[in-house]
Amino acid sequence: MLRKGITESFGAAIHALNATHLTDGVIHRSKRMMLDTLGVGLLGSRTAVFNKALMYSQMFVSEQRSSVWGRSEITLPPHYAAFVNGIAVHSMDFDDTWHPATHPSGAVLPALLALAETLASRPSGLDLLLAFNVGLEVQGRLMRFSREAYNIPERFHPPSVVGVMGSAAASAKLLGLSPAQCSHALAIAVSSAGAPLANAATQTKPLHIGNAARRGLEAAQLAQIGLEGNPAILDVANGLGVYYGDYNPSPMADSGAFRWILEDQNVAVKRIPAHLAMHWVVDAALAARAKLRDTVGTFDLSQIRQVTLRVPPSKYINCPLPASEHQARHSFQFNACSALLDGQVTVASFDRAQINRPALRELLSKVEVETPEDNPPSFDKMYCEVEIGSAEGRSAAARCDTFYGHWRKPLSQRDLVEKFSVNASSVLCPEGVEGLIDVVGNMEKVSECSVLGSFLRMTSNREQLYRTRIM
Amino acid sequence: MLSVLQKTTRPVQAARGLHKSALDVLKQPAPEDTVTASFGKFISEIKPQYLSPVALYRSKRMVLDSVGVGLIGSTTDVFELALQHCQHMHAPDPISSVYGRRGIRLSPTLAAFVNGVATHSMDFDDTWHPATHPSGAVLPAVLALSDMMPANSKPSGLDFLLAFNVGIEIQGRLMRFSNEAHNIPKRFHPPTVVGPMGSAAACARLLSLDPSQCSHALAIAASLAGAPMANAATQCKPLHIGNASRLGLEAALLASRGLEASPLVLDAVAGVAGFNAFYEDYVPQPLKSPSDNDNGHVFLLEEQDMGFKRFPAHLGMHWVADAAASVHKVLVGVDPGKVSPDQVQDILLRVPLSKYINRPFPESEHEARHSFQFNACSALLDGEVAVQSFSPAAMSRPELHALLSRVRLEHPQDNPANFNRMYGEVQVTLVGGDILKGRCDTFYGHWRNPLTNESLRKKFRNNAGVVLPSEKVERLIEAVEELDRLDDCGALLSQLE
Repeated sequence: MLRKGITESFGAAIHALNATHLTDGVIHRSKRMMLDTLGVGLLGSRTAVFNKALMYSQMFVSEQRSSVWGRSEITLPPHYAAFVNGIAVHSMDFDDTWHPATHPSGAVLPALLALAETLASRPSGLDLLLAFNVGLEVQGRLMRFSREAYNIPERFHPPSVVGVMGSAAASAKLLGLSPAQCSHALAIAVSSAGAPLANAATQTKPLHIGNAARRGLEAAQLAQIGLEGNPAILDVANGLGVYYGDYNPSPMADSGAFRWILEDQNVAVKRIPAHLAMHWVVDAALAARAKLRDTVGTFDLSQIRQVTLRVPPSKYINCPLPASEHQARHSFQFNACSALLDGQVTVASFDRAQINRPALRELLSKVEVETPEDNPPSFDKMYCEVEIGSAEGRSAAARCDTFYGHWRKPLSQRDLVEKFSVNASSVLCPEGVEGLIDVVGNMEKVSECSVLGSFLRMTSNREQLYRTRIM
Repeated sequence: MLSVLQKTTRPVQAARGLHKSALDVLKQPAPEDTVTASFGKFISEIKPQYLSPVALYRSKRMVLDSVGVGLIGSTTDVFELALQHCQHMHAPDPISSVYGRRGIRLSPTLAAFVNGVATHSMDFDDTWHPATHPSGAVLPAVLALSDMMPANSKPSGLDFLLAFNVGIEIQGRLMRFSNEAHNIPKRFHPPTVVGPMGSAAACARLLSLDPSQCSHALAIAASLAGAPMANAATQCKPLHIGNASRLGLEAALLASRGLEASPLVLDAVAGVAGFNAFYEDYVPQPLKSPSDNDNGHVFLLEEQDMGFKRFPAHLGMHWVADAAASVHKVLVGVDPGKVSPDQVQDILLRVPLSKYINRPFPESEHEARHSFQFNACSALLDGEVAVQSFSPAAMSRPELHALLSRVRLEHPQDNPANFNRMYGEVQVTLVGGDILKGRCDTFYGHWRNPLTNESLRKKFRNNAGVVLPSEKVERLIEAVEELDRLDDCGALLSQLE
């Protein structure tokens, strides 16, 4: 059904939104997201998938070059910088998650930073903040066009649907495109959307975010030189609507009574590099473990007879025997057992050696998964319960409704910065780490946002040595 | 098959309360038994000897036609735009050549992109059944990749043709997984769904990837597939083919570097969509590898020929154009000279129901190429539709507009939106009351009534001649004709500039 003017309204809004629309609340939240994204991206620059993408991307030549996060000596054409940095951000599934579900920042920030480094206009920190928030807002608005979007996905991986739209919108904003060009950027981006969920839990999943960033940027640049797509791409049923079972678009107000979605709906920041749902099951497992230990005096693995997990129904995160780190990050069973075994789940929990531990495999064989009717596949409403049954017939159960880091219980500023520091320090020298905290913290006053690039390249000496070693 | 296995295990679980994780192990098919693995194996193991004379003959015709429409397509605005974009964003890279642009070379994926855009820029490229434009998604990638290979180890002409045919074959096989694919599309533009898969397959073949890498190439490509129909009939549509070619090549290159993706992407796994995300109904079938099959392999192209267009517009237009042309003939026979709108009271078109090719007053060349009304009226006026029919001058003719305002559409029940079964009827009521009728069931160029080699070459000469001198045009015709006998496909590549 044709509702006139929705695409037009998005184009107009992207064009018209300016820095005066940014509120303190939105600035605060989006700066936290930026910092977290940079940190997980830096950590991710040491992953195998990032390396493969980097090698591939070095095939391309260009005059303009943009920074590769965590690399002091390599630059790439801007599209490919956006590509690899986006991959880095999502490489360990450590990046932010929103409701309705997507990973909003990874699709936008890498594109903006890559673009900013090439613009003669030298965008300021405030320009970056504005464009970033435009990119988030468009994603949030588009997801609200469909009820299907509110649940854990089954068909298309959400970042591949709305992420590229956010990147196109943000890039169009930073480029200062006209309202019509902004609309066309969105239209062109839709033809780059939509990757199936089957590639989640594989090494290719991070490319969904990398490609969202890259192809959204490309869409904006094509619109800038005059390419046109369908001017009603958001309005018609066979436009963006093809990615959804139900689709009900509505227009976007440009200034008048405008309120950022981020103001009312915060993101979740992850404590564990794994699918968001794992956070519930880990917190529940840790609580059950503590209960059992408190009852019995010690926690003895050999006493465990059965572990029952009560989780929402979702096939792609139900993996009884993960064979790779990617599968492990998408496995209720694995994350529960790691928590029970180690008393914590960290970055190191997903190393190959850890995944293959006999003790872990043995514990995994004792796990049963139930999907109670009252546990919906929604990040806003789900819970996880872990029940440990011991050999003597004792049992301890715990339930987690809201994990620490969820939007209902956000990470403290201290813990957010701590996560960033730990991540960034794995790659950057202290000056780089501190520099980024400082720049992001004062982003609205920074005169040239491309200064971020120079900090992102400040690898530690240890790293520089590592890089030159033959592997 | 997987679905059968799942059905039998569920009641067992209920009856015996079997431990669920043990059942999950049961439910996973052995890696070698998946549809996805069978496709990877096929791509890796297929050899040139399995190309029958018919497959060779038909695919060489496709290569010729595709090059020709790519060359004329290099004169379009959208091609210029795509090329400009690549040149702005990237520096020149002396690797892969660009249709119609001597001296310009780009990185392979970018060359595949712009050449793919050129191929589809005028909607002049080949169409298959089930519906897609198979060659434009594959040939630019295979050409670009061949350019990338060192001068002293270029693929032979036969290897080149094999890779091309693999790319076509995979597209055909995938489309047969779904009934939805058999009709004119409504949701996803087919070249964006199967095109990247075909390109990835062809490039994986040319790169000689092993079966696992071939499977991963397909899976990586699946994450790059899919664009909506809403951008058809816009300037963006040609990019669908450009991107299919480029992204399939990219997928193969990433797979060659060891990138891995879902090993079940083509299989239908409940609750986690793979390639079936793009279809409402989907029943995958494994592909037998010729090594497992004593009878060799029969390529789909041998059973289902290609449709070639005689003028640059959506395939559906060819039926109404031929029907209208026959009415034109009668009109000028009766009253020699031009057809005048004053003679015409009413024009009724009986065509299949398909929104995106029903445009009463198209405003751009892209829309005009997707308009039953426009093509019928052009053919009524001129006796044919040709490349020039879509020029701004031709499009703005007052006589044309007069005719357009007299057109009505009907969608008879017996006229399905299916390129294998549709027809086009044009009924013109003259001012005097006489009614003239024309009907076309199978236009000349359709797979049921294929273009002769002479007609195909004429089309090629008209297209390629716009951009290349005639000696080069003739040498290209020869190079394609001999392609399966060339030791080095470089002989073809060098003629393209």
